[in-house]
Amino acid sequence: MSLAAEAFVSQIAAAEPWPENATLYQPLKEDQILLSDSASSLAVQTFLRMCGLPVEVSCRANAEYMSPSGKVPFIHVGNQVVSELGPIVQFTKAKGHALSDGLDDVQRAEMKAYMELVNNMLLTAELYIQWCDDSTSAEISRPRYSSPYSWPLNHVLAYQKQWEVRRKMNAIGWSGKSLEQVYEDVSQCCQALSQRLGTQPFFFNKQPTELDALVFGHLFTILTTQLTNDELAEKVKSYTNLLSFCHRIEQTYFKEPEREGQSSRHSKGALP
Amino acid sequence: MGLLFWCSFMKTNMAEPALEVLCWGGDWGLPSVQTDSLIVLSYGKFADAKIAVKSVDWTWRTITASVPQLHFEGTTRINADFELTAKQGADTMAYIALLEEKLRPALLHSFWVDPENYANLTRPWFTSHSPFPLNFFVPGRQASLALSRILLTKAESPLLNITEVEGKIYSEAKECLNLLSHRLGNFPFFFGNSPTSLDAFVFGHIAPLLKAPLPSAQLQKHLNQLENLCQFCNSILKNYFIDSMAERRNDCKFSILSSFLFSVSAFLLGSPTAPHDSVDANLQKLTQLVNKESNLIEKMDDNLRSSPQHRPHSHKNSALA
Repeated sequence: MSLAAEAFVSQIAAAEPWPENATLYQPLKEDQILLSDSASSLAVQTFLRMCGLPVEVSCRANAEYMSPSGKVPFIHVGNQVVSELGPIVQFTKAKGHALSDGLDDVQRAEMKAYMELVNNMLLTAELYIQWCDDSTSAEISRPRYSSPYSWPLNHVLAYQKQWEVRRKMNAIGWSGKSLEQVYEDVSQCCQALSQRLGTQPFFFNKQPTELDALVFGHLFTILTTQLTNDELAEKVKSYTNLLSFCHRIEQTYFKEPEREGQSSRHSKGALP
Repeated sequence: MGLLFWCSFMKTNMAEPALEVLCWGGDWGLPSVQTDSLIVLSYGKFADAKIAVKSVDWTWRTITASVPQLHFEGTTRINADFELTAKQGADTMAYIALLEEKLRPALLHSFWVDPENYANLTRPWFTSHSPFPLNFFVPGRQASLALSRILLTKAESPLLNITEVEGKIYSEAKECLNLLSHRLGNFPFFFGNSPTSLDAFVFGHIAPLLKAPLPSAQLQKHLNQLENLCQFCNSILKNYFIDSMAERRNDCKFSILSSFLFSVSAFLLGSPTAPHDSVDANLQKLTQLVNKESNLIEKMDDNLRSSPQHRPHSHKNSALA
């Protein structure tokens, strides 16, 4: 969104309280959604639960095309549509719900820096593994991504998405990396997160913030998703405080009996 | 980020000058005009490594090599991060990610995509520093790489046009600079009193923006308002790059600090002093206070801004065209 449009939306957002029928859209959970999208979607769901805002999750095959920015997930609140965690955080702040108000400037700078680290490293690594690694791409990503469509559209869309992601990897310099290097980067990122978390319950001690939601979304999805091999999950598992962090957040915010956001054939269901 | 780990994984005994860095040359008071080269050079200085710097200007390496490059013989280790705790190391990674994601696109845009800057500053400089016939297409190639990077990472489907992305990347960059300024506060470096890899990264990104005489420079104006970041850059230049500054005497422009350095290096090397005696008193006071308490630095900065010598660069490009 342009800056003027953003300011306008914030003003409109501030006018009304959070409605009961807010909806979050993501691709089909059983067959279509991929690791990176699932992680982003879980992060947003966690954030909204932390704020205590009710939202219903709706799975659509064309969620990516409905989204205003082309990225999932997006939420439909009242008569506005907002996509991606960053704008959603701003949107909820305009409505008067914010998790990071208690932080001072230096802490807020740190929080933003760590969120960028997660986006830069974890999300990019997830995209790389899904689309630039040939075996994962052929066995998992392309079939899943194109599952709602019939031939020949499924081939066209899958290859188009793969080409787009590879172009982006090229532009940021990741196409020269090998899979081992990517796993190493993920490990470094997890080490940094683990050191920052230490023994605290959340990243900024007592209160959860959007950083906690984002980290939980990515780590939980990595731990519970079946890929061609388990190496990514193993890298995360080696940091015990991150594992207990995920357990804690799952227990606190997702303890309904059905656990609708978590289980699917693609995922292994429960945390190890 | 690869540079960071690259540097810390080499093993050495630090006495031998076994390292050679190939990078773009310097101008505008900087040892190198390119961000990555600056990062490597400043990291090397912080870690007290003996580095031989070779410029790739006017060589064919401008097209075949992706600079900067590090060549080393035997085994070498450089590490400026000995004293960081684990948490500070984690913070370093996070802030580097922030810089790459938020500030780098706007820097690329300012130097390579913005038409006025590109035509009047960047392309002439790189053209004049590349050999024939590379000077015809090296700058163009860099510009298109920069543009594609910005569009692919920042432009989402309704923002396919570069002009719409501009507003977004500049506001993110300004926010990033504000965050860095908050984090730096009144300290000389990001982690206490000695510089680390994070300082090298921040310096590498900010210094070209601060020093380059950009014709259309909204981000530069914003940076100039953040006094602690400007102090940070200038103190690193003064403390770590004095020798290379003396060599580039002829290219150095009108910053007061550089003329002070002329007199310092002239005194040490015995060559004729620069004719700026009238500002020496101000300059000596300023540089002494850079090493003292932070509130005194701010006071002197206010005085300096009202003095007539402190003007923004009115740089003539004729030497570079």
